[in-house]
Amino acid sequence: MASENEIKQTLESLRKAIIEYDTDAAVSAAEQVVANGIDPMKAIDVIKESSGVIADKFDSGEYFLPHLVMAGEAMTAASDVLEKALPQESLGAKKVVVIGTVEADMHSVGKNIVAMMLRTSGFEVHDLGVDVKSSAFVTRARDTNADIIALSSLMTTTRPYQREVIEELESLGIRDNYKVIVGGGSVTQEWADEIGADGHGKDAVEAVEAARTLTGQR
Amino acid sequence: MISLLEIAERTQKGRKMPEDAWNMSLFQKIQELAKKYDIPKYTADMPFLNLDDGLADRAFRAGLDLITEHGVYCTTTGRVLEFAGEEVEGAIRESPAELPVGRGPDARVIKQREIAGKEPLNVCPGHHSPFSEDLAPLVVKNFAQIPRADFIEGFNFVNVDGREIQGEPLEVYATRRQIGWMREGVRKAGRPGLAIVLYPINTGAVTLMSVLEPISGLQPGDGLLTSVLPDEKIEHDMLAAAIASQQCGVWRVSSSFSMLGGFCGGEDGAIIEGVAKALTAMICYRVYVNCTGVEHIRTAKGSATHPQPLSWARSVVNQALNRHSNIICMAWIASSSGPGTELNLLETAARAIEAVANGANLYAPRHLTPRMNAGQTPVQPELMIEVADAVIRAGMGRDGAAETLGSLARQLEGRDTERGYTIQECYDLVNHKPNSDFLQIYLKVKDYLHTLGLDFD
Repeated sequence: MASENEIKQTLESLRKAIIEYDTDAAVSAAEQVVANGIDPMKAIDVIKESSGVIADKFDSGEYFLPHLVMAGEAMTAASDVLEKALPQESLGAKKVVVIGTVEADMHSVGKNIVAMMLRTSGFEVHDLGVDVKSSAFVTRARDTNADIIALSSLMTTTRPYQREVIEELESLGIRDNYKVIVGGGSVTQEWADEIGADGHGKDAVEAVEAARTLTGQR
Repeated sequence: MISLLEIAERTQKGRKMPEDAWNMSLFQKIQELAKKYDIPKYTADMPFLNLDDGLADRAFRAGLDLITEHGVYCTTTGRVLEFAGEEVEGAIRESPAELPVGRGPDARVIKQREIAGKEPLNVCPGHHSPFSEDLAPLVVKNFAQIPRADFIEGFNFVNVDGREIQGEPLEVYATRRQIGWMREGVRKAGRPGLAIVLYPINTGAVTLMSVLEPISGLQPGDGLLTSVLPDEKIEHDMLAAAIASQQCGVWRVSSSFSMLGGFCGGEDGAIIEGVAKALTAMICYRVYVNCTGVEHIRTAKGSATHPQPLSWARSVVNQALNRHSNIICMAWIASSSGPGTELNLLETAARAIEAVANGANLYAPRHLTPRMNAGQTPVQPELMIEVADAVIRAGMGRDGAAETLGSLARQLEGRDTERGYTIQECYDLVNHKPNSDFLQIYLKVKDYLHTLGLDFD
């Protein structure tokens, strides 16, 4: 049984590894957690807290998109180790997000940032890319039992496709199964309200906050 | 120069690579090149603009190596286009440093400028901004009647003939209407031959090429916006439009600035990608007029204005391209505050000073995240021209510009961005003048700029 000090040091190693996007060190720390009989849930909490630190570093300009990718990989690798040590029933299912840039729109930068930050915040993210047909969002949401559909549109002429996705959900009688978040350069809260979206983020940080709120994590 | 058909073929035959893998591989390669060529990050003790020609030279080599050692990615086919050094260097040698645009008495020549050069800058006064259809021709007229306008870009809009634009048929119709309104506007301004550049309503090939006919669409001497994607990526719709427009005598412009904070990393990587992207646009879409430099991936947040490290990084990119290629650099002036505000005009003025020092021309000043009809007014381009001319008259070199920008930056630093006004709220489109409040702001800004050594008389 690990001592108080060993627990603290191991969890700190895990935290450091995640924040420094070191996948090998994160896996090693996670394996130490399991080997030393430390409660894996404590380690999972450390991973969640670290994602907040990473988001802050991105927001402040210290970290860039590649760092989010690498930190996400470190978090996923460490989580995989820890989850194997937990009883299945104690694992809360990850909240699932289907994200993409809507049809006829090739802009990806903002969407990529949101996708990365959602991943590092503990969401399971399915990124459909750009120029995504409305039906593709719906199909993937159904296939993955998604919680959230996140739609990006940079151009005012492509944002009607965000409404089209919502209309398609309604026509299939499945609107209430999903929360829809919209964002992008052309998208305002007024537009989100007009089309009946559940949430809007004017930037990636707000998008993640909206996702957390809508999935009861805040 | 390597032909666009060859480019098209390489998009089909290059090695396959998942896009996620490309993104991270690009980051790794850029980091490696930044180290190899000693491209630094900006520190506060550096001059506001780059004064180090050696750094500009190394940045250019790094950008060149990024293309020849890492390639370009086609998102449509998921394949990597590879280029030999001689192909890229040959393309650079063969590209022109001047581009004739427009027709008849309104024809102009867009030129590559010298760093801190003395010639007047070429100007695209507007738009790349959303305007409603009821204002369209009047707005275009107001911008086109600016005497120093050399060409003018189209605009975005949501409704056409009262219908919401959605779906390819309406997108095609709206695109053709955009050209119609542009043509009407330049005629009303008494400049029927002024070159117009299509702003894509959407970036699909069908839509882009729907206006490649001279009767009611783009004519030889007009232009088309065909931008290279971030992270050294191209795609088939733009390439198809490039091939078709080349055949029709329509030239192309690309938004070729890199995005600091994206997969290029920090400002060191953004400099390398900024150089490479303009060259990629030239090689893959045959674009000679590029909006060059560096922007920030988070700038769209509209957060408080922080000019650095962007100003410095932009200067390295523009100077590198001017020293080693014929790329015609355009300074794409995007402000974090909206039109009709003091901050917006100060930001516009700063970017105009930068442009002169770095050897760039001036391109469509606008709010970075504009609301409908709230992207720009004619005051912004008029001011940017006045400022650029004043900088040249003052004989300001790079070091003088750097000092002036440092002073200006202190005016901007830490200030909250201002939302701004719609063009109707702050500008009289019938009489082509700002309203009295906006006029006072404009005069106040000019008075302040005068204290920095700019003489507007």
